[in-house]
Parts: sequence; structure tokens; C-alpha cells
Amino acid sequence: MRSGGSPMASADAAITARGLHKRYGRHVALASLDLVVEPGQVVGLLGPNGAGKTTTVKILTGLVRPTGGTAELFGVPVADPPARSRLGYLPEHFRFPEWLTGLELLRFHARLAGRDPRRDADWLHELLALVGLDGRGDERIRGYSKGMTQRLGLAQALVGAPDLVLLDEPTSAMDPLGRREIRELIRTLARDGVAVLLNSHLLSEVELVCDHVVVIDRGTVLRSGTLDEVRSASLEVRIELERVDQRARDLVAGYGRIIATDDHEILLGTDDPDVVPRLAADLVQSGARVRALVPLRRSLEDAFVGLVRKEES
Amino acid sequence: MTALPITRLSMREAVSRRLVVVGLAISAAFLVLFALGFGALYSRVATEDDLTELAFAASMITVLGLYIVRFLAALLAIFLSSSAVATEIDSGVLHAVLARPLSRTSWLGQRWLAFVLVTVGYVSLMTVAVIAIANGIAEYAPLDPWRAIVVIALELAVLLSLGLLTSTTWSAVTSGVVTFSLFGVAWLAGIIELIGDQLRNETMQLIGIGTSLVMPSDALWRGASFYLQSPSVLVATRAAGGGNPFAGSAPPTTSLIAWSVAYATCLLAIAAWRLRRRDI
Repeated sequence: MRSGGSPMASADAAITARGLHKRYGRHVALASLDLVVEPGQVVGLLGPNGAGKTTTVKILTGLVRPTGGTAELFGVPVADPPARSRLGYLPEHFRFPEWLTGLELLRFHARLAGRDPRRDADWLHELLALVGLDGRGDERIRGYSKGMTQRLGLAQALVGAPDLVLLDEPTSAMDPLGRREIRELIRTLARDGVAVLLNSHLLSEVELVCDHVVVIDRGTVLRSGTLDEVRSASLEVRIELERVDQRARDLVAGYGRIIATDDHEILLGTDDPDVVPRLAADLVQSGARVRALVPLRRSLEDAFVGLVRKEES
Repeated sequence: MTALPITRLSMREAVSRRLVVVGLAISAAFLVLFALGFGALYSRVATEDDLTELAFAASMITVLGLYIVRFLAALLAIFLSSSAVATEIDSGVLHAVLARPLSRTSWLGQRWLAFVLVTVGYVSLMTVAVIAIANGIAEYAPLDPWRAIVVIALELAVLLSLGLLTSTTWSAVTSGVVTFSLFGVAWLAGIIELIGDQLRNETMQLIGIGTSLVMPSDALWRGASFYLQSPSVLVATRAAGGGNPFAGSAPPTTSLIAWSVAYATCLLAIAAWRLRRRDI
């Protein structure tokens, strides 16, 4: 996955979006968004409310027309219906015809995806079992709980055996057990070479299942890369000295911003993950007596909050 | 069969709605009532032993019965089409469907076809039933009921196209009210034109013709009703230079048919164009 700047997509990239722009009246939902997702990658799309996540997903599914930029799925512009033949999509807010049974809904979507539901009868049952709806396929959707409907939505997204799956908040109505099952399912998909773009508010979930992350806010990409790259994007380093004096503080401040300090410790915030060895050498050279230099491992949530706050300030 | 999945689903949807089931029950009750009423009235007129009056009564009652059938079918068409697009988008039913490799034009066209099949199926069944009852009681034989059904089908297609077009922008209620209002205005204009014909008032005739251009539903009905009357009654009505608000005394003109086909096609094309440009 590459993003930001001008991404170079390989010929078979699942998603290639360049300079996506979307304006609703005066409101700019997407300023200029670049995104490339390769087969087999599980990419988490993160951002605060109104950042442009759902708009991005809707442009990629052809539901929303961008006011600028281009978007392609497997090299075909999203506006062309064939671009969506290898796509599975679980929308954030969706409703299925309640008078259908779960199995009937899957048959309908199988037809739309160009499959023959009669020949695929076994596959549809397999799919129901895969999302935890084994034996419930003949019940009307009217009687499904929220969690069950979401599971059916996931089965619907997978019914065409897609090579790219876009999941918009796929576990918002599920219990922890359900979430765990869905994570397993996403990992299995990725192992089979399916590209997954996951849009979720649950950062812990993204952390558990995604190998790449794109953080967006106000319609632009703030940071993207592997999970580790993004997590270390706004690093904190705890510096323990025998005594913190003005000279040490000035020196450390040259490497980033000082978050907190007392007589023995300085907490440094920086964007540069390679800062630690250089800082150590400089401190020793300046005569400071270094007791410890600890890069603090941050959760995705910390990194996310750091990135968005920095952008806001 | 994997063809036309949207048409198949839309037809099932139309039939599964409670209102349609209730509509069918009301229609069945209507047929019983029609048979009873027709029988009673006809036997009373029959005692008067005037053959012309007999034929006229049978023709009038049958056309009135079919007028109600056509009115119910028009209501069904307006009801089905006016909630077919915006409501589906707002409720989130369409998101997963339109993300499939299916063009929005195809989706709309398939839905339109489903509604045409449902409403025309309803009209055909009811027309055949009403005429069979009239034929059974009074040996009533209309001029050409199949032609009438084709013209009514065209009227329904026009209403469905308009309903779909308005529903690409407006909610079910607004779209339904707008479409039904135009349907009503066309009916009123039809009466104005009829009176204008009889009074030879050019302004009134022009109002009627102009309105038929904006909404040809009533002109189509009057054309269709020509084929539903018995030949002897038609000859008598035309000789008297008459007609009435429920039945016309002339077949639909070729230009009316051509205009209506073009009208329905254009409205549907505009609806598809609007839907293609709409963010969902």
C-alpha cells in the first residue's frame, strides 16, 4: 500500500485513486486524496468523524461521483460497471428488503454479481456458515437481529468471490465474539490474496487486523504506511538524565517538542523514528549523564490522536 | 434464469406489499359488486324491451366498471413508482445493489418493466373479468378489448415513467402527490375538452389538447374506452355527436399514441440521466 505524494500503482492494483476531490455545495469532503491498495493487503482507513472516509469508500464503489481526480479498481475506472465485477461492498448504513430470507438475498446478489445461484447453492450455504448464520438462511430478514443483519451484509459482500472487499464499519453492531470471527475472516481473505479496505472507528480492531493504515482528516491523507510506520509516526521518547539543565533541554528541543520535563526526565515528542541513536550520541557528547533513553511504544490510538491533534493545531 | 434480477425482485416486492394484497381483495369484491349491480340494473332495463336502451345500458355500465379498474391500476402505478427511487436510496436499500456491476440505467429500466408487468397484468385480468361478467349476463361484446388493454398499458407506462422521474428527486409522498395531481388535472382537462367539443368552444378545446400534451393519461383512457364499447352504441353516440366524461367516442389518434410513447420514453430517459448523476 502506498499513499500520499503521487502513488505508483502496479498494473494489478486493487485500488488506485489519484487526487480524489469531492465537494458538496460549499463543503469540501475530500481535498485531494491518493490511495493505492495492492492485492492481499488489509488496509485500515482511519479518521475522525467527517474526515471523508465514507465519501472515499462511496467514490470507490461508484455510488458517489468525485468532483475531481480519478479512481480505478483493477485498472478500470469506477464509473464503468465492469470495474465493480471484482468488488464486494458492505455499506455503513444499509437495509435489505425485509420480506426476503437471508438465502434469497444472497441469491439475488449472486445474480447481480454474475453468478448462477442454482449452481452456487453449496457456496451460498458455505458463506452463511462462514459468517455464523448457519441454519438461519431460510428465515426472513425481518426477524434478524442487528448483528445477524450485519453478518448477512458481510456474506452479501463476499457472494461474488470478490478480489477486493470494502467494509464500512463492518462490526459496529456485533458483540466481541462476532468481532473476533470477522477479524479471522478478514485474515483468511487476505491470505487468499483478496485486498481489504476496512473503514472502522474501532482503532483496536484496525490494529489487530490491518497490516497497513491510512489516516485521513479533512479530506487529505495525514499519514499512511505499515501499522508500525504509522504508530511510530509521532513517537515519544523518555530521556532520563542525572540532572536536567537548560543546556540539555535546549539540545533535546532541537529534536522535536518537549512534552514534559522535570529535574531528571524529559519527554520528547518527535516525528522521526530514527532520532534515538543520534540523540543519545549528542547528549553524551554534550557531557550530560544519560541514565536511560526509552522510545515509548504507542498504540495506534495514541498515534491517531497525535496526528489529528497536530493537524488541528 | 439469471436475466433481469431487478425486475424479478421488484415484481415480488410489489406483490409482497400489503397494500397490493388489500387492493386485490378490494378488486375481487368489486367484481362481485359489479356482477350483482350489472345483473340488477340490466334485468330492470330488460323489462322495458327497448333493445337500443339495453345495449346502451350494458355498454355504459361496463365502461364505468372498467373506468374504475383503470383508475385503481393508475393508483397502483403511482404508488409503486413514486416510492421506487429516492425512498430506496434514503433507506439504504440501494447501496449494496448499485455497487454491483449493474448500470443505474439498467436498474431503473428493469424496475420500470416490473411495474409495467404488474400493473398491466392487473388491468388485463380485471378487464377480462369485467367483460366476461358483462358478456355472461347480457352477451355484451365490446369492439376490441385487447386494443383497449394495449392503450391502457401505454397510459400506465406514462404514469410509471412520470412517477419514477419525480421519485429520483422527491420523497414518496411528494412524488406521489405531484404525479397524482397531474393525473387529476388531465382528467379535468378531458372534461373541459369534451364540453368544448359539444359547445364548439375553441379555447376549451385548446385547454384540453394542451393538457393532453403535458399529461396524456386521460386522452389515452378516452381512446381506450372507444374499444370497450359495443359497436351499435358507438354508432348511436357518434350520430348524436356526444360522449361523456368517462368514455370517448373516437379511437386514439396515431399522433396521440406516438406522442405518448415518446413522452414515456423521454421521461424515463431523463429519470435515468438524473439517477446516473445523483450521489447515493
